[in-house]
Amino acid sequence: MSKFFKQTYNEQFKIYIKKSTWVMYILIAALIIGLAFIELTYGEGDQSSAGDDWRTELEQQNEQLIEDNEQAAEDEGQNEFIIEMNNDQLAENTYRLENDAPPRGYSALDFVNDNAFLSSLISLLTIIIAAGIVSNEFKWGTIKLLLIRPISRAKILLSKYVAVLLFALYTLIFVWFLSLITGMIFFGFEGFDSTIVTARASGYEEVTLFTEALKTYGYSLVNLVMMATFAFMISTIFRQSSLAIGLAIFLMLSGNMIVGFFAEQSWAKYILFANTNLQQFETGNMLLEGLTLPFSLTVLLVYYLVFVTLAWLFFTKRDVAGQ
Amino acid sequence: MKEVTMELTNVHKKIGKKEIIKGVNFSINKGEVFGFIGPNGAGKTTTIRMMVGLMNITEGDIKILGNSIKSNFHQAIKEVGAIVENPEMYAFMTGRQNLNHYARMNQDVTKDRVEEVIQLVGLEKAINEKVGKYSLGMRQRLGIAQALLHKPSILILDEPTNGLDPAGIREIRKYIRSLAENDGVSVIISSHLLSEIELMCDRIGVIQHGEIVKIQSLHESDEDAAGIVVSFEVDQAEQAKQLLMNELEADVQVRDHFVSVMLEKEKIPSVNKLLVDSNISVYQIQTTKETLEDQFFDLMGANTIE
Ligand SMILES: Nc1ncnc2c1ncn2[C@@H]1O[C@H](COP(=O)(O)OP(=O)(O)OP(=O)(O)O)[C@@H](O)[C@H]1O
Ligand SMILES: [Mg+2]
Repeated sequence: MSKFFKQTYNEQFKIYIKKSTWVMYILIAALIIGLAFIELTYGEGDQSSAGDDWRTELEQQNEQLIEDNEQAAEDEGQNEFIIEMNNDQLAENTYRLENDAPPRGYSALDFVNDNAFLSSLISLLTIIIAAGIVSNEFKWGTIKLLLIRPISRAKILLSKYVAVLLFALYTLIFVWFLSLITGMIFFGFEGFDSTIVTARASGYEEVTLFTEALKTYGYSLVNLVMMATFAFMISTIFRQSSLAIGLAIFLMLSGNMIVGFFAEQSWAKYILFANTNLQQFETGNMLLEGLTLPFSLTVLLVYYLVFVTLAWLFFTKRDVAGQ
Repeated sequence: MKEVTMELTNVHKKIGKKEIIKGVNFSINKGEVFGFIGPNGAGKTTTIRMMVGLMNITEGDIKILGNSIKSNFHQAIKEVGAIVENPEMYAFMTGRQNLNHYARMNQDVTKDRVEEVIQLVGLEKAINEKVGKYSLGMRQRLGIAQALLHKPSILILDEPTNGLDPAGIREIRKYIRSLAENDGVSVIISSHLLSEIELMCDRIGVIQHGEIVKIQSLHESDEDAAGIVVSFEVDQAEQAKQLLMNELEADVQVRDHFVSVMLEKEKIPSVNKLLVDSNISVYQIQTTKETLEDQFFDLMGANTIE
């Protein structure tokens, strides 16, 4: 156990000793601070908490929204998006009015929640790390000195995989905390029990912002882990990182499009990307008809096992010959 | 009976349809330095990769202190320190970080041991610099350092003299002799240049086209091993040749007035007497030792120098 622990430490050491890793973190930090500035300047960031007359305000806003929608419907052109957005806002306002849930001002946790989209950036960085962690040893020739130690190849591979997942975790925590702290400085903090109104399969609901933020990040982990494992497998099989990075990023970006393209086919639900967004079962905004949570979990598990097994087979069984 | 550290039995390696190693057998004793010699592409690196478990063994087995590298990898590899081809390390890490990295992969390598090894290879000054800045000689030293960290019973070095200057080679020779003699470490050292490692080896094995063509001890006395070539300058060379061929049943060569024959040293006086008794005048007797390099060239089919 301790030997495996030490090896995982070794693998992390090799990730974090490199300057390029720290450059990534600096870029993330710059991005988060930049986003805070943008939110402060252009967003609802300066909107203070609602006063006592929030009901009249919301009613007025609703009337305005309905009017806008009628106008938009009459106009030629692509207004569907605007109408949908307005409808969402309408539904949220109606829920607030009916359930006596006054809107709040923008605060640190809102900022954290909004930054959940950064998880695709974390996925990207994790893919880059996953794609290099095995293949670089081959590229550098260091694989030879790595594999002639009293640790089995399987354990070395596992320690590398664990190091990749830990990298994702640390980066996620980094984004989370930096967003929280930056949010506190820029927008103030209203406590961990503040709530938001959000879409659920059964309609709108009021939920605590903190758990909502945790969930959003949590759900994004599914895609992150799948794509990182995929990149890890490709780089282990082909022993080079660029192919793994390219394929994984391409699939990550085009996943939904691929599902959309084959949506008519009966086998579309077996496509990995039809199942990576588990949040769809909560929001009810489904990518395909007929998906269920147990089905998606099974598909994910099968893909995962295939990725891991292939990586393991290729890494443990194959000769390490000259370049 | 000598203690055997590593034993190869009938080792074969096939890659695709090509048989690269064709049934290699030899063993290395405790405290022995074994030179593994062969021209480019003979199969030295392939054999070494199988010894350390980087390549699967198609047929046969390799045992280290009785443990098969195939079926008992852990126990076997624990006793091995190696450099396979170039000593490639993490260029973005310092020498010390590299050593610590490998130290963590073995059970009982202490901080003190790391320092000890650094001193042994004389890298104290450069140890905190990035390996990317090291010269080839420094990287070879660091390579040897990482191979020695866990006090292996057998040290496997694939062309460690590659790219080293004569001073560097002399230094490596010094370490290796001292490791073998003082610490009882067995050493396999491969090279395509016999002359570079001849002085540090106890025994050599010559590999060619994936087969061991000769195994030869360098410590047995020269007479026993190869014999010496004795040339007699005589007045009647052809007659002398006939005589010696009949009496000694040996291969006799004639060049001008010289008759050359492979002899043990003790026999020179009696052969001389034989010639004189047959009324052949002997003007001088020369001995030339056939060097290992000559034998090597013989084996390789290159021109021999008389
Ligand atoms: N991965 C491989 N696939 C096919 N053939 C290979 C492979 N690796 C080595 N060989 C072949 O095996 C033979 C032996 O190669 P090897 O590297 O063991 O030679 P070597 O004795 O170490 O030579 P050198 O002195 O050049 O280092 C060569 O003919 C080479 O072409
Ligand atoms: Mg070689």
